[in-house]
Amino acid sequence: METIRNIFDFSDFPRKDLVIFGLFCLFLFIFPLIPHSSFSMATMIQFLMFSLYGMGWNTIGGYGGQVDLGKAQYAGIGAYTTAVMLIRWNIPFWVSAPIGMAFAIIWSFAIGYPLFRMRGHYFAIATIATSLVLLDVFQVWDFVGGAKGLEIPLKKMPSLMYLQFRNDAYYYYILLGLFFIGFFYINWFRKSRLGFQLRAIKDNEEVARSLGINAHWCKIKAYAIATSFVAVVGSFHACYNFNIEPEDIMSLDLSILIAMMAMVGGAGSLWGPIIGAAVLVPLKSYLGSWLGGKAGLAGLDLVIYALIIMAIAAFEPRGIWGIVEKARRRKRT
Amino acid sequence: MTPILEVQGVTKDFGGLRANNNISFSVQKGELLGLIGPNGAGKSTLFNCIAGVYNVTAGRIFFDGQEITNFKPYEVSRLGLARTFQIFVASGDLSVIENIMVGSFLRTRSRSVARRRAEEIIDLMGLGEHRDHWVSELPVAAQKRVAMATALATQPKMLLLDEVAAGLNPTEIDEMMSLIRKIHYDMGITVMLIEHVMELVMNISHRVIVLDSGNMIAEGKPEEIKQNPEVIKAYLGERYVAQQQKGA
Repeated sequence: METIRNIFDFSDFPRKDLVIFGLFCLFLFIFPLIPHSSFSMATMIQFLMFSLYGMGWNTIGGYGGQVDLGKAQYAGIGAYTTAVMLIRWNIPFWVSAPIGMAFAIIWSFAIGYPLFRMRGHYFAIATIATSLVLLDVFQVWDFVGGAKGLEIPLKKMPSLMYLQFRNDAYYYYILLGLFFIGFFYINWFRKSRLGFQLRAIKDNEEVARSLGINAHWCKIKAYAIATSFVAVVGSFHACYNFNIEPEDIMSLDLSILIAMMAMVGGAGSLWGPIIGAAVLVPLKSYLGSWLGGKAGLAGLDLVIYALIIMAIAAFEPRGIWGIVEKARRRKRT
Repeated sequence: MTPILEVQGVTKDFGGLRANNNISFSVQKGELLGLIGPNGAGKSTLFNCIAGVYNVTAGRIFFDGQEITNFKPYEVSRLGLARTFQIFVASGDLSVIENIMVGSFLRTRSRSVARRRAEEIIDLMGLGEHRDHWVSELPVAAQKRVAMATALATQPKMLLLDEVAAGLNPTEIDEMMSLIRKIHYDMGITVMLIEHVMELVMNISHRVIVLDSGNMIAEGKPEEIKQNPEVIKAYLGERYVAQQQKGA
């Protein structure tokens, strides 16, 4: 009972926030019904995907304060599990996605156990390294298509089981469902025992340990939670794109983007990843279509992301939401 | 009376430096024990050895009938031995009540239970007005109380207090004294404290242990310690003795 109450309990937010979020949800629900271009539909789908990526990252990176820059490897595990199972054994998305999630979690334990012996920057660098190693492995692994990647064959008929639709609105609504599951889960998570323990670890690990918290194990658990979010979105990505390449789904770019959603929006806050995705995804789409046509400017988007990260680190580590909260505190006093 | 904490021949080396040399003592259930000594005497090192932050070089430690030598800090605290830190650094992600809830979450999974216990401790420690503030915004005296409250929320049998009176003014020291008494008498928690504020240690301790350069040089009732020539030479100093005599 208490768990259910906690899932839907937003009482620590001012009414204004909830009204704004409610209106935003309403917009999300009716968006496919109002006239839109296919570009804006694609952008909205990207927005939902990156919100979910960011929510996942926020558990370990935001609440736990462990900057993880290797999340793409888990998106890759999810995507490849779904694609390989569909191509080889004709297994539907709804079966392969949980299996992909399980693989990703197992891998996250293997990675997390040694990596969480490290702290701060060392941990961040190590996560990048593990992700790039897995990328290299997938590029030479013939079973999963090597560097060419995998192409998912089209079914004759649209299928909910295999997540194949002619109309993007179906993808949109399925993703919206996942979005709300993720959102309410995080709303529970941030008030759970693990959520509190992670915030204490972020605050001061030595004090946290003296309060009976097994910091190492807490981080591993949160890392696995973050991983399951990312893996599911990875599986979805495979079905939505029909095509996955290691250089795309497991790239460093994706890892950094995932981390940036929460960091820009506000690490360690419920709204952070959503705000971050709402700002960064349109920016990314725009930069992509603009730079795509200009030879010699490839990679400029990365420069821009790097500048944003530096600006956040220097001025407001708690991101856009941090600015809002600061302004509110000032108004109160 | 039975000992709740027993330290047997604990030695701790940092490279070539011997911070604790063969220290043995025990703390009885319900006792209030003071640990004093000059800076660098090894008091905090001893605390950290007991609380599991450091592994001991030699010796054994028992708590509540169980050996805890080289246990991890979280294991020690789960058994009911809580501690505070000299400097309670909080970057400001958690409010006062949330900090205390982290402590009470050790004994429950339920948020409402954790919150209820935290509220009780807030009342007990007189932190009501700071309830929703960030710890970093508070004055030193209140920060120390938050640190104690957070440790208390883990429902310990014994509490190690590391310099809770440092940096406080005389009024605040008086308040701290009655607070420690409250924790000790009303809640029935065994207390061991490191302290430089003599007024506080000598007033509330049942027994005092003195460390100097890693060695235990004296142990006894506060009145005996005040008279002990070795302690006066190593730590208290002639000035303190003169003051005491003038006061008497």
